[in-house]
Amino acid sequence: MYRLRRLWVQLRTEVLVLPSRALVLAWALVLLALPLAYTDAYVLRILTLMCLFAIFAASWDLLAGYSGQVNFGHALFFGAGAYASALLTLKLGMPPWLTVFAGTAVAALLGVAVGALCLRLRGSYLSLATLAFPLIAIGLLFAFPDFSGGELGFSGLPRLINGVVPNYYLAVVTMLVLVFSLWLLADSKFGLVLHAIRDDEVAARASGINTPRYKVMVFAIAAACAGLAGGLLAHYMRVTGPFTLETALSFQVVIWGIFGGVATIYGPVVAVFILYPVTEWFGGFQAFGERRLLLFGVIVLLVLLYMPRGLAPWVRDRIETLCPRCKQRSAAWKSHCRHCSAALAPTDRPRASGPGQA
Amino acid sequence: MIQDILVSGLISSSVYALLAIGFSLIFGVARIVNIAHTAFYMLGAYLFYSLLVQLGINFAIAGLLAVAGVTALSLACYKLIIEPLREHESAVLISTIALAILFQELMLLFYGGHYLGIPSTMDGAVSIAGVSIAYQRFVILVVAFVMLAATWYLLNHTRLGLAIRATANDLEVANLMGMNVHHVALATVAFSAALAAIAGVVVAPVFVVDPYMWLGPLVTMLAIVVLGGLGSVKGSVIGAFIIGFVEAITVFAVPSGAFLKGAVALSIMVAVLLLRPQGLYGVVFEEER
Amino acid sequence: MLRALLLIAALAAAPVVHAQGTIKIAVLGPMAFVQGQHHWMGAEMARDEINKAGGIAVGGRKMMLELVRADTNEILSVPDASSAVERVITRDKVDYIVGGFRTEAVLAMQEVAMDHKKLFLGVGAAHDELGMRVERDHNRYKYWFRVSPTKATDLGRTIFGVLGAVAGSIRTELKAETPKVAIVAEKAVWTEGLVKAAQANLPKMKMEVVGLWQPSAVATDVTAELSAIERAGADIVFTFVSGPVGIALGRQMGERNMKAVAFGINVEAQKDEFWGAAAGKANFVSTLDTYSEIEITPKTIAWVRAFRDRFKVSPAYTAATYDAIMLIRTAIEQAKSTKSDDLVPVLEKISYVGNGAVIEFDKRHDPIWGPGKAMGIGVQWQDGKKVAFWPPQVKGVQPFRLPSR
Repeated sequence: MYRLRRLWVQLRTEVLVLPSRALVLAWALVLLALPLAYTDAYVLRILTLMCLFAIFAASWDLLAGYSGQVNFGHALFFGAGAYASALLTLKLGMPPWLTVFAGTAVAALLGVAVGALCLRLRGSYLSLATLAFPLIAIGLLFAFPDFSGGELGFSGLPRLINGVVPNYYLAVVTMLVLVFSLWLLADSKFGLVLHAIRDDEVAARASGINTPRYKVMVFAIAAACAGLAGGLLAHYMRVTGPFTLETALSFQVVIWGIFGGVATIYGPVVAVFILYPVTEWFGGFQAFGERRLLLFGVIVLLVLLYMPRGLAPWVRDRIETLCPRCKQRSAAWKSHCRHCSAALAPTDRPRASGPGQA
Repeated sequence: MIQDILVSGLISSSVYALLAIGFSLIFGVARIVNIAHTAFYMLGAYLFYSLLVQLGINFAIAGLLAVAGVTALSLACYKLIIEPLREHESAVLISTIALAILFQELMLLFYGGHYLGIPSTMDGAVSIAGVSIAYQRFVILVVAFVMLAATWYLLNHTRLGLAIRATANDLEVANLMGMNVHHVALATVAFSAALAAIAGVVVAPVFVVDPYMWLGPLVTMLAIVVLGGLGSVKGSVIGAFIIGFVEAITVFAVPSGAFLKGAVALSIMVAVLLLRPQGLYGVVFEEER
Repeated sequence: MLRALLLIAALAAAPVVHAQGTIKIAVLGPMAFVQGQHHWMGAEMARDEINKAGGIAVGGRKMMLELVRADTNEILSVPDASSAVERVITRDKVDYIVGGFRTEAVLAMQEVAMDHKKLFLGVGAAHDELGMRVERDHNRYKYWFRVSPTKATDLGRTIFGVLGAVAGSIRTELKAETPKVAIVAEKAVWTEGLVKAAQANLPKMKMEVVGLWQPSAVATDVTAELSAIERAGADIVFTFVSGPVGIALGRQMGERNMKAVAFGINVEAQKDEFWGAAAGKANFVSTLDTYSEIEITPKTIAWVRAFRDRFKVSPAYTAATYDAIMLIRTAIEQAKSTKSDDLVPVLEKISYVGNGAVIEFDKRHDPIWGPGKAMGIGVQWQDGKKVAFWPPQVKGVQPFRLPSR
């Protein structure tokens, strides 16, 4: 009883006071409750795929947004997880519950390797060099088709669980847990160190931070999450192939990340939950030649013009105000900060940024 | 075999150099990683196709019109989309990706998903040292080298070139010296888009035109630019020749490994980066500390 | 007021009543590309023909046919393709599915259709694995049938037959006892078995293999490869290509005035657009194909003409959605049922005279290969026209031609 009350108090003081957190809670509850009311297999399938891509996008954000290592080849880890898991189940007959985690481990190891290789690279050099890794991997897959299945990859993988609703819950719960953990991690001291590295690596090192270790570590963590998402997708679809490594997928995740808002973790998730269904839905229109990416490009460009810092930060700035004294957030309609009760001037919120102004 | 490698290496290198220089200039002057750069190359090819095949215009005029059209389009894109976002580096990055995707989808919508062929502007082939080269390939070589020379002249012997180099060297100081860096950026965007469009126009009669033709050269071009050093024109040209010849050697030395030419080129880029993180001729920018 | 409400209710109920009288078939393909467009054209022809005749007879009742068009986006995204299958089954409530093109995507699409136990007639993907699944796990995969093309292994059997004929004309015209063959295969799993078979069989067929070149499927420039092939003095360029590299190959061979003739599988060369895409340079390029105005079956010539009259283009092999839908109709009329489970045993025993083949299914639900059944044809581009030169002794075929020396 005490615990329950404590939980309620925490919920009230930590979650419900902030509109953005309340929104996230509501969204999570809707996701969890949806199959009770609505079991359309198609909708659940799209949502399942969205959850898996959301993990992928959020993991990119930890790497690119927080530590500033803008990875243009994130699909490498997604594909590594998918391929490793597929190989282990098909060639060694291991149960998929194990191999998904083995795939995660393989992806993490690759993350360490890529992170270590890229330690000396900065900025755009790092982005463009990482773009090469998945393409080299595709070259290797084609060079050893007996091992990798060539352009067909692997098919007939066993599912983790059977049925539409169980698969949905598997994806939703994994996504919620992982994204929440990533958010906690990004909000912790670890995240602070990453911020410091991104903003000024030399200064961070001068302050006694072992920057290479952190940079490799964040690569490994992001790679592990992406690998898990890849493995889950492979077993859900029962196939894997070079499509998990393609440049288009790497670009897609960059777009999700930046469109949603970098260095937020939830931003890319929001982006996936908006852009993925829109593209899927648009693909059915014959009037537009069934060109599903057309609207995608237009939306991204238009939204960016009005919200150059991304969708989620824009919305957050509308519904919440930053306290000038303690830098904590409060609901926009409050006149005083919820922590230090400093007065919140209504004009104090960041100015709207539209075209032509920063 | 050595003659073959020389000829096909030279041709592909010079096309790569045209693409890479433009990308390098934009990066140097405006710090934009322009993913849509090869999309302008694709648009050049498509526009040339429309003018030459569908409207039946003379090939020289069609080529000039296509280049002019793409240049105008690039300026419009810059003014309408990139400039308002200039302060937000990441937003600029994905807006160039989105632009490239948008162009690809528009071409799919207008021309369909099939491959288009453009008739050679001149027929016949010449045989040099036992290698037969179609005249059309000679055109590529000649145009590419003329454009490379023109770029060199523009950068080193004109006021605009001086401004471009100064801005690339240090944007703020250039601004303080009274240069209108916005105009310099505009001129650079137009010039590099024109280079990409020229590459598209000369290559179109030899290759196949399709809506995805921007992706392959994009990756090769990025590898070249990184290999040579971001923002360095000299590095881009040398990088283009390294990658072009590596690809040619792969195809001739390992015929059954021709599909690997892209992967080999990328591996070389990664190897160079590991030894020299700023590429061959890259400048270490202070602000990128 | 009450009347108005009743009227609205009746209107709302009307489509439901109507829906009971229709059979819905989903046509799935990459609709922005030639393959998907021909999927749809073939299906439209079948629908119009069936509905003009009053529909499909199901135990004394006539049911109209309704098509559901669905873009799979499979060229770009495998997940999108499987989502499209889920959508037509659960949203549009279709009864059967036809189409699919890229093997990678069809492998995933097959899984979704089998989850829902829906009849899925494949038109486009050639990989053996699709049928091997039926053999391994009949209970789950029995709803899959491949209508066209024949499985990859059988394509190989046809191709060596045709190659023998090509080599024959080279022997007689050039007096070369052992023609030299250069193999150009795009690097892909589907070409692998064919390349191995070629390397093993050609010496036995008295031909000399001078080399193997493996460009990427999306290469747009094969000058380097062609110079090497010319140097090797090849008479035949034996191709296994499906991507744009096929266009580059045909065009650049023509531009170099190469003496060698190209034959093999060249998917791009099967399309009407090939001649234009190769800028009119790809004379003498030849490939396996499915349809032409020759008498493969008694239906072929009339159908190909009707198709061309209606769509101003000759049918690509994915237009076999026509045969797929006609197969479904025949099966429904025989089984007097529309349930997928009732149609499977009927289809397993069916013998159906189609437009490009006489279709009978084996235990993998693949069309049985052989003369008089499903085999394919050889076509060659001759001065802007695609003419059939194989199988011999079929009404309408023309002789194979070689580049002048």
